[in-house]
Amino acid sequence: MTDTTAVLGYAWPLIVSPGEPIAFHLSSKTLDGAEATLVRVRCADPDPNGPGLKLTELDCAINGPVALANQPIYPGSCAIIPDSPTLAKLGAFTVGAFLWPTLPGARPQTILSRWREDIKAGWRLGLDADGCLEFVLAAKGQSWRVASRLPLLTREWVLAGGAYDPATGRISVMVRSLDPQAGRDRSVVVEGEGPTSLSWPMDTPLVIAARAKDAGDAALCEAFYDGKIDRPRVYAAALSIDGLHRLCEAATPAAADPLLIAAWDFSQDIPTDQVRDLSAHRLHGVLRQMPTRAMTGVNWNGSSERWTEAPSQYGAIHFHSDDMADAGWAPTLHLTTPSAWRSGFYALRLRARQGNADPVESFVAFFVRAELGKPQSRLAFVASTGTFLAYANSALRLDQVHAEAMLEGLLTLSHDDLYLQEHRELGLSTYDTHNDGSGWSISTARRPILNTRPRGNVFNYGNDTHLLDWLEELGQSYDIITDDDIHRHGVQTLAPYACVITGSHPEYISREIWDAFDAYQQGGGRHMYLGGNGFYWRIAYHPTLPHTIEMRRGMSGLRTWEGEAGETALAFTGEPSCTWRSNGRPPQRLLGVGFDGQVFTESSFYRWLDGARDPSVAWLTEGVDLDAPLGDFGLRGNGAAGIEIDRVEPTLGSPPGLVWLATADRLGYGGTPTPEELRTLHRGIMGDQNAQVRADLAFFPTANGGAVFSTGSIAWVCALSHAGYRNNVSQVTGNVLRRFLDSTPL
Amino acid sequence: MLVNYTAAAHWPIDASRLDLVEEFRRKPRGPHGDELQKLLHRMRWSGDSEASGRYVLVVKEPGRRWALGRLPRMRGKPIEILSNQVFTSIAEAEWEVFKRRWEALTGTSLPPSFKEPMA
Repeated sequence: MTDTTAVLGYAWPLIVSPGEPIAFHLSSKTLDGAEATLVRVRCADPDPNGPGLKLTELDCAINGPVALANQPIYPGSCAIIPDSPTLAKLGAFTVGAFLWPTLPGARPQTILSRWREDIKAGWRLGLDADGCLEFVLAAKGQSWRVASRLPLLTREWVLAGGAYDPATGRISVMVRSLDPQAGRDRSVVVEGEGPTSLSWPMDTPLVIAARAKDAGDAALCEAFYDGKIDRPRVYAAALSIDGLHRLCEAATPAAADPLLIAAWDFSQDIPTDQVRDLSAHRLHGVLRQMPTRAMTGVNWNGSSERWTEAPSQYGAIHFHSDDMADAGWAPTLHLTTPSAWRSGFYALRLRARQGNADPVESFVAFFVRAELGKPQSRLAFVASTGTFLAYANSALRLDQVHAEAMLEGLLTLSHDDLYLQEHRELGLSTYDTHNDGSGWSISTARRPILNTRPRGNVFNYGNDTHLLDWLEELGQSYDIITDDDIHRHGVQTLAPYACVITGSHPEYISREIWDAFDAYQQGGGRHMYLGGNGFYWRIAYHPTLPHTIEMRRGMSGLRTWEGEAGETALAFTGEPSCTWRSNGRPPQRLLGVGFDGQVFTESSFYRWLDGARDPSVAWLTEGVDLDAPLGDFGLRGNGAAGIEIDRVEPTLGSPPGLVWLATADRLGYGGTPTPEELRTLHRGIMGDQNAQVRADLAFFPTANGGAVFSTGSIAWVCALSHAGYRNNVSQVTGNVLRRFLDSTPL
Repeated sequence: MLVNYTAAAHWPIDASRLDLVEEFRRKPRGPHGDELQKLLHRMRWSGDSEASGRYVLVVKEPGRRWALGRLPRMRGKPIEILSNQVFTSIAEAEWEVFKRRWEALTGTSLPPSFKEPMA
């Protein structure tokens, strides 16, 4: 078995123009070196039943032996408040916040701390191994602790705090359940003996949601908290629970109160990594590993679903012990990409142990884009980098109960899957849930991504390279452009091309990307949509950090987790997220077809409809037998119509000028409708009884001589290579491509 | 939260329905009749024991060879590979896992005729 994980890495940036620098950040736990080779990717799918792995080795300055070192990853999000004189000399004080814990009792966790674990000194408020609130003070080998008697409840708001009074030598821990009825009450105040004087450790940050392992503001942290924290406070007096409640309840405590040491307001600067202190001490902090912001606070009352409309109700941050946004690895190799390189899918190949039973062959993928305004071809293929990020390191099949039933057969796991099962520190995808069951809403490229590279699991990246392989086989020149570029530069990225192809699954789309395609189509551009379930979820890119996306799943759409009420707006931009259909833009309006279902039992073929016999589309069907099935073959389920599929639907915006060319509407019992297609519950919804579960082939002209051709199926591109590329799927795709590249108006 | 509970699949399996076993042996990849679909859903949703984890296939050689494996329910725990159970077709692997699940879920042994390799 080829070892694809003995060395891992990521390229930064993920996308470069020819002539720009790129760095490869590599790590290996077991190898001290490997052989590096730059390759251009034609087909990334090693399955010998298809084109097979097709990579071209490139002559490159960094080819050759590369020394490797182990670079750990440190998951877990928290806020770091740099050390300050005020914090270092606290006497009597109270710390507290509103909490919504999601994994109480899983292991010890920290809410607020100014603590050094190496010398076990300082103070910390947290949850003990049983999930009880504990307040601990320690210095010089002595410690004092008080704890609540009952574990906190999962996903229930409480006021939680600890107080210390050196004058009386007492410490206390305080819990007040905000909904104390029906068995939920965990309210308690427990007092205990504390020191009458204490000196705090120096050079120690205050940490929210974790505690420092050792000294300094850059210290690594541990004992991370899972759950929401709203309005953390530090006050320079020992308060009663009522006093703490008043302090936390006040959205804007009096900054001039000389005893107010810190009052963090997480509803400020939501799109950033900054946390703001409202007190006169200005103890601002910075977040690590991108916890989820724009979360409903303790005071959220359902009057709004967007934090931009009622920011004061969004004062919570949801921290996760497994948040991971930046592996932080040092660069291992630097390269200035040659200006003569064609745009394309590229990768750094790393080999070791060749000739052994488990040879190492691992890849670090990157993309070379066609430079903006300098097209090298009349055709562009879009690398769906937004979708690649959304699926980055998906553990869906490993973690989710439904996976084998959905996929209609035994899960087939790769070496990458074996690794991911044991190495969750890589950070998962937006399909996954955190350890506490909440959805993973952010994905970045500053980490190894196992399923966007040659030999990786084929969904998305691997499938899309089947289209690249077909273009190469045709001898058709093409440029590569990416979602990230279209998001940034809009229609300028698309406009130079006579034709733009999107791949097997362009599912995750920002408003900027949608607008660019709409403008391109209306400006006379020709768009070949050769996929399924495209333009489905609404995402945002981070306002400043490249290759970083966010999405929220609401209560509609084919979702592997469901966000909490009130948490469907994006923290990065304030825009609503969820499906584009629920945002007033069903994909049918842009593509002619839109997602309606999936089928994993067996893919199907299309049968031609009357629309295909219209002389006005004779160019599209040239050389094709309209009485024969279209695509009754292919590498994904033995058909060109399958996996995830789209249909024509006039009530959702399929244009009146659309020509409905063909349909695959006999999908059998495996044809499963997407939840938003169901008005009420009844039987008879599967593909063997439901004609609305189908894949449609469609064409329509747009303004200024533009046009759209859509296939509505993920399986389509994996049928192109059948029978030596001589088949009717290839013929139709080629007919459309030729006509779309011909500038004569349609 | 929206949760997929492992206990949700509760279609009762009738150990006397060896006709369903025969149907699966003949066509491991389907299409299947209504009752076999229900049986397979029960098996695939949560048919394997909590303690030993889900039966999976581990790719030894893409598109050519797969080993049987067991995927633990708990994140982070390694996937066990049963190296002596290697298949050269997915259908053959499906049949092997079907037999194991049938015997585990019904608590009965399949008649010797089903122990033979696939027809």
